[in-house]
Amino acid sequence: MPCERKPMRYGHSEGHTEVCFDDSGKFIVTCGNDGDVRIWEGLDDDDPKFITVGEKAYSLALKNGKLVTASSNNTVQIHTFPDGDPDGILTRFTTNATHVVFNSSGSRVAAGSSDFMVKVVEVSDSSQQKTLRGHEAPVLSVTFDPKDDFLASASCDGSVVVWNIEEQSQLISWPVLQKTNDISNAKSLCRLAWQPGTAKFLAVPVETKVHLYERGSWDHVSTLSDDLQTQLINVVAWSPCGQFLAAGSVGGSLTVWDVNSKLCVERQKHEKGFTVCSLAWHPSGSQIVYTDTEGCLGLLDGLSTSTSNTNTTKQAPAKKAAKDYDDLFDDDDDDRLMDEGLSETNSPVKKPITGDDDDDDDDFLMPATGRVRNRGAILDDENSLDTGSLKLGQDKFGDDDDTGSVVVPAAAPLVPMRPVYEGPMPTAPQKAFQPGSTPAHLTHRFMMWNSVGIVRGYNDEQDNAIDVEFHDTAVHHAMHLTNSLGHTMADLSQEAVLLACPSTDELASKLQCLHFSSWDTNKEWMVDLPEGEDVRALCLGQGWAAVATSALMLRLFSIGGIQREIFSLPGNVVCMVGHGEQLLIVYHRAPGFDGEQALGVQLLQFGRKKRQLINGEPLPLSLQSHLSWLGFTAEGTPCYVDSVGVVRMLNRSLGNTWTPVCNTRETCKSKSDHYWVVGIHENPQQLRCIPCKGSRYPPTLPRPAVAILPFKLPLCQTSTEKGQMEEQFWRSVLFHNHFSFLSSSGYEIDEDGQSQTQKEQQELLMKMFALSCKLEREFRCVELAELMTQNVVTLAIRYASRSRRMALAQRLSEIALEKANQIQEEEPEEQEEEPEYSGVRRTSGYGQSEVTGERRSNRRDREEEEEQAEELREEEEDGQEMETEEAAETTKRVNPFAKEAVSSVTPSLTPIGKVGRANPFKVLGSGKPSSSSGLPRVTNILDNMTSSRKSSPLSRSAGIPSKGPVLKPLAPRPKTKTQSTLLQMNGTKAASKKTPENTQPAADQQKQPEVPPPASPADNTENNRPKTGFQFWLEENRKSITADQPDLEETDIIKEAMGRFRTLSAEERLSWTERAKGQTGDAADLKKRKRAGGGAENDNGQVEADENSSKKKKSLDPSSKLSAFAFNKN
Amino acid sequence: MDSSEVEFLAEKEMVKIIPNFSLDRIYLIGGDLGPFNPGLPVDVPVWLALNLKQRQKCRIVPPAWMDVEKLEEMRELERKEDTFTPVPSPYYMELTKLLLNYASDNIPKADEIRTLVKDIWDTRIAKLRLSADSFISQLEAHAKLDNLTLMEINTIRAFLLDSLNCMYKLRSNLQPGSSKGQFTDY
Repeated sequence: MPCERKPMRYGHSEGHTEVCFDDSGKFIVTCGNDGDVRIWEGLDDDDPKFITVGEKAYSLALKNGKLVTASSNNTVQIHTFPDGDPDGILTRFTTNATHVVFNSSGSRVAAGSSDFMVKVVEVSDSSQQKTLRGHEAPVLSVTFDPKDDFLASASCDGSVVVWNIEEQSQLISWPVLQKTNDISNAKSLCRLAWQPGTAKFLAVPVETKVHLYERGSWDHVSTLSDDLQTQLINVVAWSPCGQFLAAGSVGGSLTVWDVNSKLCVERQKHEKGFTVCSLAWHPSGSQIVYTDTEGCLGLLDGLSTSTSNTNTTKQAPAKKAAKDYDDLFDDDDDDRLMDEGLSETNSPVKKPITGDDDDDDDDFLMPATGRVRNRGAILDDENSLDTGSLKLGQDKFGDDDDTGSVVVPAAAPLVPMRPVYEGPMPTAPQKAFQPGSTPAHLTHRFMMWNSVGIVRGYNDEQDNAIDVEFHDTAVHHAMHLTNSLGHTMADLSQEAVLLACPSTDELASKLQCLHFSSWDTNKEWMVDLPEGEDVRALCLGQGWAAVATSALMLRLFSIGGIQREIFSLPGNVVCMVGHGEQLLIVYHRAPGFDGEQALGVQLLQFGRKKRQLINGEPLPLSLQSHLSWLGFTAEGTPCYVDSVGVVRMLNRSLGNTWTPVCNTRETCKSKSDHYWVVGIHENPQQLRCIPCKGSRYPPTLPRPAVAILPFKLPLCQTSTEKGQMEEQFWRSVLFHNHFSFLSSSGYEIDEDGQSQTQKEQQELLMKMFALSCKLEREFRCVELAELMTQNVVTLAIRYASRSRRMALAQRLSEIALEKANQIQEEEPEEQEEEPEYSGVRRTSGYGQSEVTGERRSNRRDREEEEEQAEELREEEEDGQEMETEEAAETTKRVNPFAKEAVSSVTPSLTPIGKVGRANPFKVLGSGKPSSSSGLPRVTNILDNMTSSRKSSPLSRSAGIPSKGPVLKPLAPRPKTKTQSTLLQMNGTKAASKKTPENTQPAADQQKQPEVPPPASPADNTENNRPKTGFQFWLEENRKSITADQPDLEETDIIKEAMGRFRTLSAEERLSWTERAKGQTGDAADLKKRKRAGGGAENDNGQVEADENSSKKKKSLDPSSKLSAFAFNKN
Repeated sequence: MDSSEVEFLAEKEMVKIIPNFSLDRIYLIGGDLGPFNPGLPVDVPVWLALNLKQRQKCRIVPPAWMDVEKLEEMRELERKEDTFTPVPSPYYMELTKLLLNYASDNIPKADEIRTLVKDIWDTRIAKLRLSADSFISQLEAHAKLDNLTLMEINTIRAFLLDSLNCMYKLRSNLQPGSSKGQFTDY
């Protein structure tokens, strides 16, 4: 049963309203909270007659030219109809009457009141009153028995009572309602209705159902219900024929049942879901008029109930055949009730008048478009089945004696199909809008406010004009245009102003472009859109303009007015923005449900390589919100704001996901305050918006000032230091994605800014690292280190080792290694591309070392030999065959590294060419000096390479303390030596800086096998003792130690030096050891020397004790390091 | 001290402007200003704001206190209290004069504001005169006045000091005169 739902119109001010038809059905009569009774000549009557009956009118009844109203002065009065002259007062109550009704003949009026009484008054003689007492709460509603014997009333005490009017006594009472203390608190108005004509049933709305009580027996004979009906029924009304019952609910749904079949034949929904508080049938039965608590009046037209009640049997087959296709589409409407929308599909255009009182939120209404047809086609089969079966079903129930067994099976399974829909309800799709504009219904509005300027529209009595103003007057001077075409949309760029108007009856939708940057004299062009196509959204980019139209079309124009590409959009456009060569379109992907909008987004890039970056992915919005702003940051990253105030930004580095970067509502003081976003900048991070006190949109006057909000990622626990830093870091990462985007799309980028931000990020990481260290979260530290760049990792390693976290430092060194490898893998590619560059780097890397490299080369060779010898000697001291073997193996293994890459960052790189290696060294070398303080670095990257190597640090840690006595006699000598290395006299800082750099060339030079140890080994080994790495180090650094602490004794110097040496990183120490090895020339002499060394060691008991203590801890690898510290403490 | 000097000092106060031009940060002896982004409020000293305004390079955003309601409130308070109430800005009079003279189109209800500020000023000056009067008439050696602005002090300084000097002279002349009289008595 298709019916057309007419759009709602404003009737009365907010509050309870009532409606009825006059006897002829010519007028609709309403009353409302404003105390007026309005007489409408149909729904479209723009100038209804009105009768003022009091301050408020609670209820009205109309019959035989008499209008009875219950008004706020506690009376029930009569006015003549349609003249509206007062015709006396019928009765009075101690408080206001709540409901008045006529009996069927119009001779009597019944009125229920809040003073618990029901009065029945003769219209002709108001002195003849009958008072029905017995309710214990305000009376909700009253209704006459059409045969005038009884009267039914419902009350807030929860009872529905049938009275015998003559005897003024209660006949029966059903406690079916919820108890309340006042009408205003009652959940439902519980308007009763007695079936006209036969007077067989009394309909009582009970919660979501309607109970039917049979007259006479007063039995509850049946219940009308609808699965879709989930809200309390407020009011019921019988059709004049008595076969149909209409009900209006608190939630705004309107339902019509066929009482005989108990089937729901019509379902409609109030377009805004307001409470239906009154409804009335047209005397012909073809229309239902209803009002809501917001004072609006609506109408359902085209109800075919009166015809269908008797002759459906005859009509159905004939009609069905003839109107098969019509039915399909007609019923389409019904079906969409379930699967698409109870909403506005039947209300083609909304009256502007209704837009007055509702906010921006709910006037998003889109005229139904082609979408509907598609849906109909899909659901074809179901529809035809449904219509057929329903009519059959009706027939069956229509005549009681017909029990056609043929129809039953067909009807039975299909009947539930229609009403079983209980799922979510669709939301009205959001209207298209221009981001940065205020709503079009305002007389003074911003048509566009963006980073370029402001376009204001004035549309009042005197003036219909557009003002264009530029933030930067250097772009163009301000413009004032008369808006003769009625433009409603505008966009503004550095090049042009784009304006568009919707089509009118005579004129097509027009696009006007003021191309003020044009160098010729023609600064304007205009385009008419094809008939029936309206501009919905428009935007300007650099050198182009885009227009999305109602025909789901996107038209591109060049800025000079040439038509360019055209393509179809997947859905109705919501809004659109352009920036440079990018175009961002948001459209309706599908109907949203339960207050959500289902939006899709497309991001296109023009320019040299035209492509689609985001192809129609869903646009994530906050729950129950709609899009309120869409734009690009000044740097060209898409972002948008939803009505809840959440700003989201595209994260290009995470597969084009959207990250919320700010919630503007968090900074609002009051609930009704909003921020109206006008622009977003990534560098500096600025959210430019206009604070709107108590509104969503700013007024044009006084001129609003832009405020700047900071961004804040909604990370957890941002009140803690950790959370803050995490937030800062990720925000920084997110807001600097545009660098890579810009460079990839061929724009210049601010290199300084980029390096600045990278530095800032790394600093943050380092801070977080330090914090996690403090909190003993070493795993977390490692995770953080993964995010760091390689040179910062080395810093972290130093930090870790200084704070005595050996395990951590070790893990970090692995990471450092990995990172170095990564860089190396990347570099060869780079170098292929730009060999010159790498060449420069390489030379610069060597340049540093050349200063001292030459001078040292000889000595280093000696050192290496000696170191080798020493290591062997140390292992022998241990006296364990196994370990010696292992150590021998180690030395074998270590040596290759020592020769190829002493700085030990690149032990696994052998296959990669020399050129490839050069850079990582450089990186490392530059990283170390950056950690200006001589931070300790104890970890050995080589340690974990293989288990067998573990012994090398072991042996060293054991060996180091043992060198104590050996060093003593050497102490004065190094002094003279250090003089030769003047460059390292700047203190330990300088020394620690230099060592990593210097070792590298040393390594390179050690590769030359022919370098013989000349006279110098003899010098060094004059005591027949091999020199250790430490000794070499001491020689070089003694000066700095003495400089730092001049008053130290010789032994103290050595102790201090040992401490410092130990704080060197493992690879550094290794390199020193290697140098020492290089000095020991012959393997043949080794053993002797070692013995001698061993003997010397034994002389010193104290050191031996230390040695023993360190030996005990040897078994574990990390503990060996710890032992080093244990010693240090001593 | 001349009142124009006080005004000069007042020109160092910061005020928000909305520039309509774009300029990078500028580095001045008194500190860095900017960067200037068209349409974005930025704090600059009054002298620069007025200069830019006169060249039509910016709009001036009036300070928060330059608002009819707030000034009315202040005026009432000032009238009610016997002592000086704290003023919204140490240079309220100067700023009002400067901004209203040069940028009255950017300040809503400029005339009302002018009147209100003048009212406050008059009330305060009246108080100041009153206290000067009682200071002299009670022959006090010192007095303490809180919440006076530089301009107000400057207004009364010349007159008060001169008159005190004058009175001192008169008194000291009176003193030797009487002693002379004594002297002649001998």
